[in-house]
Amino acid sequence: MLLLLAALPALFWDGAADTAPALRDAGINQILVPAARLASWKSVPGIVAEAADLEGAVKLPPPTVNYRINEAAATSAPWVIANGWRFIRRPGGRFYYDVTGKQAALAAAEAFCYGANAMIRTDAAGLKPLAAMLDFLRTITGEPLPPVADIGYIDDGSAASGEVMNLMVRDNLLFQLVTAPDRRLKLNVKLGTREYPLEDARNPGVVAHAVRFHLTDEKRSLRIFGSQVVVARLTATPDHVRLHLLNYAGAARKVEGIRVRVLGGFPKHQLSLADGAGVELLDYSVEPDATEFTLPELKMYAVVDLLR
Amino acid sequence: MTRVKPCCTIVTVNRRTFLQLAAATPLLAGPADEPVYRVVSAYKPASQPGMPGPYPGLVVRVHSENSIDASSGKVNPELVKQMISSGMKTLTGDARQEDAWARFISPKDVVGIKVNCSGAPRIRSSPEVVAVIAENLIAVGVPAKQIHVYERFDNQLQTVGYGKYLPAGVNVYAAETTRESILGYDPKTYVETSFYGEQDTRSNVVRLVSETLTKIVNVPNLKEHQASGVTGCLKNISYGNFSNVARGHNAPQTYLGTFIGALAAVEPVRSRVVLNIMDGLMGVWHAGPFSEMPRFRFYPKQMMFGTDPVAMDHKLIDVIEEKRKAEGAVSIFDRSMSHVGKDNSNPNTNHYIREPGHIEYASKLGLGVFDAAKIKLKVIEL
Repeated sequence: MLLLLAALPALFWDGAADTAPALRDAGINQILVPAARLASWKSVPGIVAEAADLEGAVKLPPPTVNYRINEAAATSAPWVIANGWRFIRRPGGRFYYDVTGKQAALAAAEAFCYGANAMIRTDAAGLKPLAAMLDFLRTITGEPLPPVADIGYIDDGSAASGEVMNLMVRDNLLFQLVTAPDRRLKLNVKLGTREYPLEDARNPGVVAHAVRFHLTDEKRSLRIFGSQVVVARLTATPDHVRLHLLNYAGAARKVEGIRVRVLGGFPKHQLSLADGAGVELLDYSVEPDATEFTLPELKMYAVVDLLR
Repeated sequence: MTRVKPCCTIVTVNRRTFLQLAAATPLLAGPADEPVYRVVSAYKPASQPGMPGPYPGLVVRVHSENSIDASSGKVNPELVKQMISSGMKTLTGDARQEDAWARFISPKDVVGIKVNCSGAPRIRSSPEVVAVIAENLIAVGVPAKQIHVYERFDNQLQTVGYGKYLPAGVNVYAAETTRESILGYDPKTYVETSFYGEQDTRSNVVRLVSETLTKIVNVPNLKEHQASGVTGCLKNISYGNFSNVARGHNAPQTYLGTFIGALAAVEPVRSRVVLNIMDGLMGVWHAGPFSEMPRFRFYPKQMMFGTDPVAMDHKLIDVIEEKRKAEGAVSIFDRSMSHVGKDNSNPNTNHYIREPGHIEYASKLGLGVFDAAKIKLKVIEL
């Protein structure tokens, strides 16, 4: 993928050049195409095309929520299908989504907030939502900030370890991968230790619960109240926190209100919302050691910048 | 009766202290642990909190055989009016009902009428009862616009249609116009605890309660409850006034033994609930709080009055137990797992182990009198 498209997720479009009007109508002006089609797209005005191919890229499941209403389960919590752990495990990886409709927009937002190199293949219904989301993502400026982590996680590369990472992402337990325990972090986790026995990983939820228990909620840099389908990504420098909020049910329904708690006092804030004109943070509260606010509506994706 | 001794820790702190304490005590308890409740509220208790109020241990029961037609469910509004008048005068000792109401409510108050619609439309705080309460509030000088009939869930509230019965200008309000929306709740007043490892560990008070109302008249029904044993005064002002409470009973063994009392004791709820009027015209003796199965409905044709929710709920236990015994059903104090199952069309099968001990527990928090020997019941027959 060329530099032109590298900062944002990009539409991978394998349609012929005569489909250009549909792309233009949707507001798409940059695409990735199979190398075999590049020549024909080069002559299309108003659309910049670059060659790419899906081979070698990791196919990602569509980000969504499975409510499992008709399934007996140990928990009533909805099942969030999120790819954050895959991005964390392979920071330099190439990924692609094959998604339809509004999920294309959610996929773009998910990849963006992890800084992932991702292509998005979608159908005609996905073009407009994707274009709108890409337009919004272009407004999120500034150098990427380093991710915030409370937990150092030693990943053994196994499927079980991956699933533990998945659950930590979904539970907003902020971690980074480490190769050895890092004392600067609040907690270090390795499967196969006394605290996190391998047999527990057969039910990764048990491990994620143990991680939360050992970390304690009070030490978590981020808490989300009021929704089980919002996953956050927190990045920061000492004076600037950037919070990405993804509503994984966003292709179908908005979340009416989440309460967010971020460790640290940040008197100033700026909210950027995809498709949320007029929405402002409510009940903003700065305590000596934490900042809290309510986001009254989250359709799909929001970025909140907090400043000292 | 076997009483289970409930046990937990309640830490009441203001918001600033809470944040200081937070780092010292792990909040996340394993499912087998006793819950730790952290109460975050900036509201101070009234000089005399509404609960147990001026009449601890006193319960007035008014029975009227013709108050409701058991075959049609039709309520007799005139008899309801007489029952409420009689109940209020007996509770206070006043000769005039206006004087009785004026002991609790002044014209400056903004009054909430906390109805119960969890079993609506089949069983709910009768609109005829609620209407008479609103009329009495207006009679003591409270403007209609300062009266709010409220419940948590709009979809339940809508099925009743209180507006048709109420005096003009009285408000009808739901905290959640969309299910699970947090916007109708006060973000700064909550009880924090973890039961089963849920991520959202806060239960916030209804914003109307903390920010608008100065007094609350609690109007529960007379019902058995699959998880709490009975659902009366305490359940209606705890689960009915806070968000995210169903998490307390996500498994057959629940935390309702302590959670209900912990919520009910939170300021400003404790201070502002000044009167309880239990609508027992109709009741549910099994599979509550819903009333999907008509065979579990019954018609006690009574109303109870008091300021002490514990004493009133103790009497509620007696009514439900008597009815269940008459129907050959096990006691609500039964704790056998052999009676826990999915098919609660059998009155000896229940989804949960019930926790009627929540009422005795609430008495330990100072919310009222549980000791039967200290409860005075006055019975009026109309």
